[in-house]
Amino acid sequence: MKLYETKLLTIICEILAQENILDILKKHQISGYTKYEVDGDGDRGLRGQGLKTEKNIKFEIIMNENKLQDVIEEISRTLFANYAIVLHVTDIGVLRPEKF
Amino acid sequence: MDILELIQSNLLTPIILFFLFGIIAARIKSDLKIPEAISEFLPIYLLAAIGLHGGIEMRNTGFENMLIPMFVAIGLSLLFTLNHYQILRRLGKFNIFDSYALASTYGAVGAVHFSVGLSFLKNQGVSSEGYLAAILAVLEPLAFIMAIFMTNMAVSKQNKTKQQSLGDTSSEMDLGLNQSKVKISKVLRESITGKAIVILLGSIVIGYIIGEEGFQSIKIVFDDLFTGAIVIFMIEMGIIAGQRLDDIKKVGIFLTTFAVLIPTFNGIIGVLISTAIGLSLGGAVMFGLLLASASFIAAPAVLRHAIPQAKPSLYITSALGITFPYNIIVTLPILFTISSFLHNGDGTINLLSIFINN
Repeated sequence: MKLYETKLLTIICEILAQENILDILKKHQISGYTKYEVDGDGDRGLRGQGLKTEKNIKFEIIMNENKLQDVIEEISRTLFANYAIVLHVTDIGVLRPEKF
Repeated sequence: MDILELIQSNLLTPIILFFLFGIIAARIKSDLKIPEAISEFLPIYLLAAIGLHGGIEMRNTGFENMLIPMFVAIGLSLLFTLNHYQILRRLGKFNIFDSYALASTYGAVGAVHFSVGLSFLKNQGVSSEGYLAAILAVLEPLAFIMAIFMTNMAVSKQNKTKQQSLGDTSSEMDLGLNQSKVKISKVLRESITGKAIVILLGSIVIGYIIGEEGFQSIKIVFDDLFTGAIVIFMIEMGIIAGQRLDDIKKVGIFLTTFAVLIPTFNGIIGVLISTAIGLSLGGAVMFGLLLASASFIAAPAVLRHAIPQAKPSLYITSALGITFPYNIIVTLPILFTISSFLHNGDGTINLLSIFINN
């Protein structure tokens, strides 16, 4: 089967940035995403412990390259300064590119 | 001497001992942990119990006499928040965002404080006015809304001066201005429909409807188990506070002093004023405790969105790591002693006679 190239955006952030990220996704008409709670070490020490509001969350969002640039530009502009957040992009192959 | 004795006996209650135990468990890096579902369930349970208790008391006593204490509490809470801001900004030299975040953390009320206070009074065999639960619900979002409002104003002002100094207003600047402002209405709606207020208000209404009689069938869960449930919650709080002990060093001497002195001051003022407007011995203690308490469960959730520039490590650590243990161990007995002093016999005359005797 033929695989079509597209992008996977992965965001690991504090749980309280979740709403901001969902807002940005919505603004760019992206309705599909996967998220899960995670924990681990950041460059400044252990995160995802303690109070419920201090947990970490990981988003995985598949999107085409056009949208990707706008989305990561907005996330880095509005959230990088004040939230604990890391994002990275992976090239992936999907079967039905029209979905993303 | 009286206060010291009371602090000493308060230290040896299960609530405090389990809290200290939680801290120790965290310090020795034990893997002891309260399961997540239970630690999420307990605040809901505690708020339901507080609400039911309040609702039943309100049915017994009526709620016409609740308005004055409610408005006084609202006024004091706002006044204290502004006062905290001035102290933090001017004396502590914190930036605007940290100052407002901390000011509102200490202006807001803590439901966990309130639960511990109720259990403390139960232990002393003293009751309190039921409408205090309603005041808890009203005060919960108040200080945050005020702080967010003030922060928005400050941000607008900053942006305006920036724009003026740059000459013309570019569209990019406008964008930045609008983004850094948080809609008060959104925060208000989220607080009011938030689970804490919903369960608290719902339980007050249900408590009011069912009254003492209807409560009998659920008393075993919501009354007899109350202190036990707080104890379990205290283990969790102790563990979280214990994990943060290292962070206290980062908080600094100024904020540490602030985190101890401000609750004491606010609490004592609360007891004095509430006694003056006619609250009972226990009621005045709870009123004082409401004003002394700092929020550490609601605060991060609200402030992280509303004032993201503020450092959560400051306001969570000082509220949970310093103020909360201090309040339940020291402030509570102090407030109780002052309130007993004011209520046993005529407080004002006693005060006068002490002055005269000295």
